Amino acid sequence: MNIPLLAARNVTRNKLRTVLTTLGVAVTVLTFVLIRTVVAAWYVGVEAASKDRIATRHKVSFIMQVPKNYADTIRQVPGVQAATWAQWFGGKEPNHEGEFFATLAVDPKTTLEVYDELVVPEEQKKAWLENRQGILAGDVIAKKFGWKVGDRVNLVGTIYPGDWQFEVSAIYTAARKSIDRSTVYFHWDYLNESLPEQRRDKVGWIVSRIDDPGKSATIQASIDQTFDARDIQTLSQSERDLNNSFLGMMSAVLGALDIVSVVILIIMGLILGNTIAMGVRERTTEYGVMRALGFSPRHIATFVLGEAFTLGIAGGAVGLAIAYPFVNQGVGLAIEENMGAFFPYFRILPDTAIAAMVMALVLALVAAVIPAWQASRLRTIDALRQVG
Amino acid sequence: MSTAASSAHASAGITVRDVTKVFYRGKEPLTVLDKLNLEVTPGQFVALMGPSGSGKSTLLNLIAGLDRPSQGSVQVGQSSVSNMADSELAKWRSQNVGFIFQTYNLMPVLTALENVELPLLLTKLSGAERKKRAQTALRVVGLEDRSTHYPRQLSGGQEQRVAIARAIVNDPSLIVADEPTGDLDRQSADDILTLLTKLNTDFGKTIVMVTHDPAAAERANVTRRLNKGQLS
Repeated sequence: MNIPLLAARNVTRNKLRTVLTTLGVAVTVLTFVLIRTVVAAWYVGVEAASKDRIATRHKVSFIMQVPKNYADTIRQVPGVQAATWAQWFGGKEPNHEGEFFATLAVDPKTTLEVYDELVVPEEQKKAWLENRQGILAGDVIAKKFGWKVGDRVNLVGTIYPGDWQFEVSAIYTAARKSIDRSTVYFHWDYLNESLPEQRRDKVGWIVSRIDDPGKSATIQASIDQTFDARDIQTLSQSERDLNNSFLGMMSAVLGALDIVSVVILIIMGLILGNTIAMGVRERTTEYGVMRALGFSPRHIATFVLGEAFTLGIAGGAVGLAIAYPFVNQGVGLAIEENMGAFFPYFRILPDTAIAAMVMALVLALVAAVIPAWQASRLRTIDALRQVG
Repeated sequence: MSTAASSAHASAGITVRDVTKVFYRGKEPLTVLDKLNLEVTPGQFVALMGPSGSGKSTLLNLIAGLDRPSQGSVQVGQSSVSNMADSELAKWRSQNVGFIFQTYNLMPVLTALENVELPLLLTKLSGAERKKRAQTALRVVGLEDRSTHYPRQLSGGQEQRVAIARAIVNDPSLIVADEPTGDLDRQSADDILTLLTKLNTDFGKTIVMVTHDPAAAERANVTRRLNKGQLS
């Protein structure tokens, strides 16, 4: 037996209370983990952005277009290995109006060069490159809509109104888990040729692959400098910054989630503080006896803090033990399949688990500070008088 | 457990001189002990009797270093208890005083052996040595076969014997007992008193016991009566 062990054993004194408190902390940790996982999942695209890709868009806003031939100019900039372009199409599947998925008009050949993490079987790749009305669909969206290679599908344009006929030429998977497997790619030419003359040959953004990620900032500056004298100037960013600018629209929601997670932590602290304070009140006489035996105020505080530490560890561990299978084998898989466009990778990140555990421990200790201080300040005589 | 001759701590004599203890109820002073004098020779077994509120427990607390007098001095052995700082007092108590309470006050989450071992956590003894000493103390009180029992698995008399083992495990020179038989039936009370007598006679411990029980007081060498803060 030693002093820390004795402190830990105090949690076995009232088993029902300990179990309920541990479960309370565990549920709080689970909720915290879920919220942090949502926030992390939003940012997973940003975090997983390739360092050797640069995105170039209209200097004013990414909803304004740039000339498609800018891609040819960008390819000439030293350090750029390849460049491709894309245009947001905003398609809807008529039978699944409520489903959101990204629909991008792209240059197929260069897209596959620049986004080499898209895994497409060779035969299907060849078929997509040759079929002007062909689409390359992510396996998650294909499964959801029941699409198979060779199916003819109809998409309704929201930005480019009308019914658009396509054929599923290829289905991709991803070499990295962070890649959205719900996107639909189709030939930009098909879109461009159907537009009136004045709207043709424009794209939403250009993505280039560079030879040295360490020179990314220099190459971004070189690209923008190239277009400084043109009517339409550009803003080049790392892929990470571009993804961040999309997330900027969601910042208020993410900020609210951050606040909710803090509120949850405060609730956890109050639950623990209340339980520990009750335990201290009930044990006043025991603390008096211990003081009589020669234990110091510091020892008494250690007992209280040690008990809180044990509760924090137990609650955190149980919470994570519930959270991991619940998220990684349950709700996370469902979210990835049904909301892959928003959450391509919805799993508990190690950082989130560590943060939850640290928070549980820190909050347990913080919650115990006042009860520990009060217990340590008890006068031995007063504490012993509670014997009756 | 050492015998009287080989005890690590010599028996402590006690000198209480002109001690006054005043408590305050709000701003109203309440004198519980009034210029009280008491002399206890080393190895003596003293019973303190008196009506409720007469100051018995207050005097016991002053002797045990749990409280300080408002005036006067308390000397136990070579130590001037009334002049020590809180931290000094805590250390002194852990080395020199064994406590026995009316309601035993054992830790419910600890076994009998662990309860007895508790005061030794403040020493630098190894775990094995602490355990050995705790087992010895339990043997002295006749409970070596109950070492793994929790307090809830023991009778009142057995709990008090464990408390006595806890009081003697660090071989103190002074044992203070506050109504040690107050919660026990006659037979258990007699067993406890026999044990205290044995500690006094065989191990030479100085014992100061507060009691309302005349039968308990009969076991002591000396009985002192308190009334309204004065010894008679």
